[in-house]
Amino acid sequence: MGLVIGLGGLLSACGASQTSVIAAPTGPPQPGGRLRVGLAGGGAADSLDAHSSVSTTDIARVVNLYESLVYRDENYELKPLLATKVTPSPDALVWTVDLRPDVLFHDGRPVTGKDVAASFKRIINPDDPKSGAAALAILDDVVIIDDHRVEFRLNSPNAAFDDALGQYTLGIVPADYDPANPVGTGPFKYKSFAPGRNSVFVRNEHYWRDNEPYLDELEILNFSDEDALINALLSTQVDAIGQIPLALLEVIDADPRISILQSETGAWMPFTMRVDRPPFDDNRVREAFRLVVDRQQMIEQVLSGNGSLGNDMYSPFDPGYPSHLPQRVQDIARAKELLADAGYPDGLTVELVTAPIQSGAVEAAQVFAQQAAAAGITVKIRQVDVTTFFGDSYLQWDFAQDFYYTRNYLPQVNASTLPTSPFNETHWDHPEFTALVKKATGTVDPQERNALIAQAMEIEYNEGGYIIWGHANQADAYQQYVAGLVPNRTGLALSGFEFRRVWLGGNAS
Amino acid sequence: MTPIILRRLGTSVLILLAVSILVFVATLLLPGDPAQAILGQQATPERLAALREQMNLNDPAWQRYLSWLGGLVTGDFGVSAASGGPVTDLLGERIGASLVLLAAAGLISIPVGLLVGTYSALRQGRTGDHVVTGTSLVLAALPEFVIGIALITLFSTTVFAILPSVTMAPPGEPVWNYPLQLVLPTMTLVLMVTPYIARMMRATMMEVLDSGYVEMARLKGVPERQVILRHALPHALSPVAQVIAIQLAWMAGGVVVVEFLFRYPGIGQALVDAVTNRDVQVVQVLSILIAAVYIVVNLLADVVGILTNPKLRTGGAR
Repeated sequence: MGLVIGLGGLLSACGASQTSVIAAPTGPPQPGGRLRVGLAGGGAADSLDAHSSVSTTDIARVVNLYESLVYRDENYELKPLLATKVTPSPDALVWTVDLRPDVLFHDGRPVTGKDVAASFKRIINPDDPKSGAAALAILDDVVIIDDHRVEFRLNSPNAAFDDALGQYTLGIVPADYDPANPVGTGPFKYKSFAPGRNSVFVRNEHYWRDNEPYLDELEILNFSDEDALINALLSTQVDAIGQIPLALLEVIDADPRISILQSETGAWMPFTMRVDRPPFDDNRVREAFRLVVDRQQMIEQVLSGNGSLGNDMYSPFDPGYPSHLPQRVQDIARAKELLADAGYPDGLTVELVTAPIQSGAVEAAQVFAQQAAAAGITVKIRQVDVTTFFGDSYLQWDFAQDFYYTRNYLPQVNASTLPTSPFNETHWDHPEFTALVKKATGTVDPQERNALIAQAMEIEYNEGGYIIWGHANQADAYQQYVAGLVPNRTGLALSGFEFRRVWLGGNAS
Repeated sequence: MTPIILRRLGTSVLILLAVSILVFVATLLLPGDPAQAILGQQATPERLAALREQMNLNDPAWQRYLSWLGGLVTGDFGVSAASGGPVTDLLGERIGASLVLLAAAGLISIPVGLLVGTYSALRQGRTGDHVVTGTSLVLAALPEFVIGIALITLFSTTVFAILPSVTMAPPGEPVWNYPLQLVLPTMTLVLMVTPYIARMMRATMMEVLDSGYVEMARLKGVPERQVILRHALPHALSPVAQVIAIQLAWMAGGVVVVEFLFRYPGIGQALVDAVTNRDVQVVQVLSILIAAVYIVVNLLADVVGILTNPKLRTGGAR
């Protein structure tokens, strides 16, 4: 890679780019044109199924074909989408959802309560659960009240159930949905699809928002290689690319034709310590490991400076996030002391399992190993491939890594830090914490709930199994003539893939 | 001559069978199965169980192998675990695309390599020869992605923006409908392969030019042009054919990097994808295909060798 950059820099030094720079568009959005979006990842297993997306390219397609009842906007605020109102009962056991009355599916049929109920039944089907099923374990039944109203009945109180509804994996589809004929309510509808290569969508003329989408066509292209992705942008074969490696940000930004879209996110890539196995079953060891990390240096070296400091707590955008807790900083002397207390006066040796699960993961492991050495910790790095990492031993490693996109606290806890969570890599099982989370989950009043959340987070801050050193920014790149992309905190690339707002300026379209 | 070739064909079938078993076992040895590979981080036990059921992963391995092999003989290549569709649907277009790339690269590099090698041999020790030897040494030392990236930087992104850097032909449309997109990947392969052919041609040509019968022909007053075309060239071709065969076979397996770099929709990309997805059926078919290409081109090289070597032409002699 170093060679590639060197070569590019050398050549750009001797010959200026031949293509002229098209100025960034201004004024009201212009309709028309085709947006070509390049994304890394995906393959033969790509799918247009509304409820079983796995790769980034799947997510980009799903977000534009289907819509959920509520969604997280660019500020990570929960906003209505196909619902106009989502109201809990006082005991948070029944949630009533009013549907937007004017929404049509791509084939022109109106969206009714029947479709909503059928969509959720499809997702939680016990014989073939879809991506969103794990988060909906609390859902007992969806009851159709009338054409535009449904009730979600839960088996345990959940005051944050509206948050759970705001996932892209919960798109509303017709009751007779068949993924071979991908009909939804999204701003674009299906035209063609070749797994692992590309897909073309056209403007949905029935779309319920005024004027949107502006584009006539949207093409999403898979790239298996990051170099090819960036080359395609530089040779203007695509208009926008998602998730560029942060190390290349400056080089790409130097091209006058290209704009960078940088978004602060709540994404996190923790080191995971199993709290039920030695040496990490001793909280002094966990604290020592957290104290050896120079977080700023980690952000500089792993993210090329494009990220924000982590304080061993996730969900930084949650309204309950305790920002008053002191920022943990590197303290080698204290770490050595803690290790000596825990019975390791001469340091210890641990194995850290890593894989390229996310851009920067392996680099983070290497930087950690260097920083930990100062406190007498020998970190043996064991690098495996991604499928092995997520294979049979996933969630069993004593010391490894993982990554998550932005989530609010309670949904994230549900996914990863309760004894019943599907992804509890740290094997965290803390009765006091679990009780607090349970109480918060049932508390409808936001202020009370936030106070409980802050207490729960503080327990994790003091005793948890995660080392959360930072939150990486999301960086995307696009041609100057592309308009309507705004920073987005969800961690999904290119404005959360909301291409309904994108338009092409100048003579590009 | 025919018995030799028939015997070689028989061996080839056995080799292919061995390859198929090896590949099957190797893919089984990879940790994780297709269901895990596809679901990745989202693999909850319930979703894994459902997907495994859909993909028939619960059948024993030998049963899956035998049913695959049986299908292969009857022309049914099986179902891809990742896409859920027939492997033939997935690969048909890609095999065609790769063949186009290989054919284009072969059609350019073989004559160019032979010409340059001959030229270099005739100019032995002079400037022209030094330039050719130097250039081919440098090119042979560079990995294909470096050549590819240099070409992209030069012709499509940074210096001149005249050629596309990636292939974007819509699926279903043949790649040759967009000939400009073929230029850079073909050029990369040509630059990779030509130096070897040229260097081999130069070496054998020099040897042949030093031999007794060329000297004899020259002494007899045969015009130099005819000496080279009629006497020297045919004798030099046989060993060079072996090198060309190896290079062509290498291209069949080694296009992976080139296809990756140029987003070329060929078998290389499909193979990498299939390995990541633990998609045994697709890995199998592609490995067999690449092995078959190796065997066939080597067989052809032997045939060329036999045809140009009178001793072997009689069959019995070994």
